[in-house]
Amino acid sequence: MTAAPFFAERDMRILLVEDDPMIGDAIEGALNDASYAVDWVKNGLTALSALDTQHYDLVLLDLGLPGKDGLDVLDSIRARNNPVPLLIITARDNLDDRLRGLDGGADDYLVKPFELVELLARMRAVLRRKGGSALSVLDNGVVALDLVSKLASTADSRDVPLSSREFALLQALLIRPGAILSRSELEDRLYGWGNEVESNAVEFLIHGLRRKLGSHVIKNVRGMGWMVSKSA
Amino acid sequence: MDGFKKRLSDSVQLRLSVTLSLAILIVAVVAGIFAFVSAFDEAHEMQDDTLRQVAVLFDRQHMSLRYPVGNEVADDNEESRVIVQYLADGSTALGNDDAMLPLPFPTTLADGLSTLNVTGEDFRVLVKTTSRGERIVVAQETGIRNKEARESAWRSLLPFLILFPVLLLVVGDLVRKLFRPIATLSADIDGRDEQALHPIDDHHLPTEVRPFVVAINRLLERVAQSMDAQRRFVADAAHELRSPMTALSLQAERLAATEMPAPARERLLPLKQGIERSRKLIDQLLALATAQSGSNRPQAAVSVHEVYRRVLEDLLPLAERKHLDIGVESVEDVRVIINEMDLVVLVKNLLDNAIRYTPEGGRIDLSVERTQERVMLQVKDSGPGISLEEQTRVFDAFYRSLGTEEAGSGLGLSIVKAIADRAGAQIRLGFTDEENNSGLCVSVWLNAAKD
Repeated sequence: MTAAPFFAERDMRILLVEDDPMIGDAIEGALNDASYAVDWVKNGLTALSALDTQHYDLVLLDLGLPGKDGLDVLDSIRARNNPVPLLIITARDNLDDRLRGLDGGADDYLVKPFELVELLARMRAVLRRKGGSALSVLDNGVVALDLVSKLASTADSRDVPLSSREFALLQALLIRPGAILSRSELEDRLYGWGNEVESNAVEFLIHGLRRKLGSHVIKNVRGMGWMVSKSA
Repeated sequence: MDGFKKRLSDSVQLRLSVTLSLAILIVAVVAGIFAFVSAFDEAHEMQDDTLRQVAVLFDRQHMSLRYPVGNEVADDNEESRVIVQYLADGSTALGNDDAMLPLPFPTTLADGLSTLNVTGEDFRVLVKTTSRGERIVVAQETGIRNKEARESAWRSLLPFLILFPVLLLVVGDLVRKLFRPIATLSADIDGRDEQALHPIDDHHLPTEVRPFVVAINRLLERVAQSMDAQRRFVADAAHELRSPMTALSLQAERLAATEMPAPARERLLPLKQGIERSRKLIDQLLALATAQSGSNRPQAAVSVHEVYRRVLEDLLPLAERKHLDIGVESVEDVRVIINEMDLVVLVKNLLDNAIRYTPEGGRIDLSVERTQERVMLQVKDSGPGISLEEQTRVFDAFYRSLGTEEAGSGLGLSIVKAIADRAGAQIRLGFTDEENNSGLCVSVWLNAAKD
């Protein structure tokens, strides 16, 4: 059902900067399992020299590093105009650190403890964004939407044709699976600003989508709006 | 009586009032007795002077005496009259009745004042020899003299009788007023919640109390420091636990991906659940430590529906697993003044609790409503609810309702309470179904943002 991992095209090289041996070991192993090539360094200075000598597709950076703090390492990387995609993994969950990290040029921020599945998903998302290759399929594990052919697929039915409005609505929901979109937000995305919208247009479209794809595909949250679930 | 003695020795205020009152009473009694006696003597002296004046008048005017016979003179009062007669006539007096003059005074009396008993009644008597050589007697009954003297003496007591109760009231009031700052202070300290450890303002306090307040302030400071250290310890400990927890859960996850026999895989599940539970506990401990820390987080106008949406997006997978019908009842969104993260954590813990304790297929409703100046957030579930006896205890850390098999951290409501206390919000627990006392309904009152 899930599309083949797009990184299989060529080997991706990851720089893992993590001082905790157990965590580093687990992440390195998991990344190897997912067929990434991993270089694991345990402090900031080694990380910087590794980046100078080798091309990496992604950096996983812990913040609490001995010697040079992770945020300083981030500053140094960006100061050298190195655009390498970078994901922070840290035990610090306060808002200040998070904002400093993202403002400092990190592409995402993952708080420990996290699950490997989540780490891999975030890595894929960052690589996708930074790679500039617009993904042609949106997929949440329940429904996949081909953005080119505008066909939707579920476990039970493949390549279901959708009307342009149905497609727009499902696309809006699939951009961020798990996010709840209210009726007015969906209307804005379907019809643009200021257009006259029939009062139950959104309900009508959702009814249609559920009939075609199954009622479990789009979930209603009473009083809030609609969503598609985050990876099943 | 013993109770009063104890109160007397315990209370400076009572001791002061009672001592001052007693002192006033004693002074008033002594002064009263003195005033009474001197007024009494004064009155007698004046009356003696009157007798002397009558005698002098008689002598100077060369009057002669004629005793009234038979008819009484109008307006005459036998008791108060002043009698004048020749001393020699005493021997010719008829008898025993003081109504009939002359009276039988002994003829041997010397000149001057004396008190005599004549015809069974006491008389004050002045004997004088006139310039013509006659000896006259000027007399008055002592009964009436004493009565008048007493009356005048009582009148001199009157100011004391009025002054005494007035002074008592003034003293009592004064003492109470002087002690009022202390009463206000103790009420103020008493009304504080356990997080409020700021120093007491000693500006308007009497100098006698100030050293005491300064000492209390020093104590408060030490308590605040030690509480702070304790909180930091909890936060640091939870923080430090995160890394090994992460390592543990990552390793378990990798283990799950390897080939293994079925029994091993079966045992991996509880292991992963245990790790997940520990992870949650650490998160909650950190959240509680953060919520209890005194640091003031910036507040802003926060949309309640937006927070509901964020929390629902987070927790919907949990609710879906239990097939719970979860939704927002209120149509109108309201903005409240609070730190956004605080409100997210508060709502998240309430909703997490509701999901945990609502049985499969149950229903959970979120709502927000504006009531005048305040905003009421409500989370209602169709679970068993919390009995009245337990309602005060569920906010204690690690308290869990009896008979629940839920693997919660026992910190959720403590976190909610800590955030509410810091944000100045009130929480009330109730029942969703008031008639059958079932279903938990948590109401939280917050300050509304200005439109």
